[in-house]
Amino acid sequence: MANLRLPYLATAALSGLLFGSGLYVSQMVDPFKVLHFLDFGAIPSGGWDPSLAFVMGAALIVMFVAVRIGRGRAAPLFDTSFHEPEYKKIDRRLIGGAVLFGIGWGMAGICPGPAISLIGFLPDNLWIFLVAMFAGSLAGSFIVPSGHARRLADAK
Amino acid sequence: MESFTPLTAALGGALIGLAAAVLWLGNGRIAGISGIFGQLLPPAQTVVWRVVFLVALVAATFAAAQLFPGLGVGGEAPARLVEAPPAWGVPTPVWLAIAGLLTGLGTKIGNGCTSGHGVCGLARLSLRSLVAMLVFFGVAIVTVAVTGVV
Repeated sequence: MANLRLPYLATAALSGLLFGSGLYVSQMVDPFKVLHFLDFGAIPSGGWDPSLAFVMGAALIVMFVAVRIGRGRAAPLFDTSFHEPEYKKIDRRLIGGAVLFGIGWGMAGICPGPAISLIGFLPDNLWIFLVAMFAGSLAGSFIVPSGHARRLADAK
Repeated sequence: MESFTPLTAALGGALIGLAAAVLWLGNGRIAGISGIFGQLLPPAQTVVWRVVFLVALVAATFAAAQLFPGLGVGGEAPARLVEAPPAWGVPTPVWLAIAGLLTGLGTKIGNGCTSGHGVCGLARLSLRSLVAMLVFFGVAIVTVAVTGVV
């Protein structure tokens, strides 16, 4: 199968390496760096850190170009089609999920990327967060179907 | 704004964007971390690339900290997580467990996190991703203000 061939797996590895490097270089692995962006109450006193906006902005520009390049191609290099989400509806699940994630993110300053990459540094209590995150994701998969094909079918 | 680091933020962001670009143009996959780890179970053939990606993610973060220790947490400074705000009367492990649970549950139900919706979704001009991002950023900002975690 296509997704077990070496070029495919090497691409996944390269992407993971770039992603992890980016999380460290941008300091987004540091929960406090993230929280100091989310702390808008610190704007008047000058204690606000807008760095996260620069991370998102730069990442977005690069990915936007890649999506444009992809639009001109029938398929990616190592698979038969682009796995683009087809479900377009803005529903209660999307909003509700984003609200729950927003609360969790604001409580700890850790989104899923940094949560995983922090394994490299093993700060105290990380395993508690990781086990809970995995359990939450697993619980969620009983509420909503996983994968956009099943989601599409579920919406009909 | 002494902690504001626009250059390393933009450089790191560009690396994250490049990671998403490589996975999209190479394998046609969205580099959304909650999606990549959230679909490890039930075991399917795609588990192999997902595990390869996540192992590389951890290895690169660790290696980058060894190569460029001056950039902060994980390099010269040890990484640490937040402590529960004392006013809430909740032990820190419980606080982190609740935060982790909400993060896992919310990204599964909402079908994406900061990378999947934020970077990949917006770049695809997805309205769903724009809405999700505005909601979770807004709620997170309110949560930080309400909890006083920093």
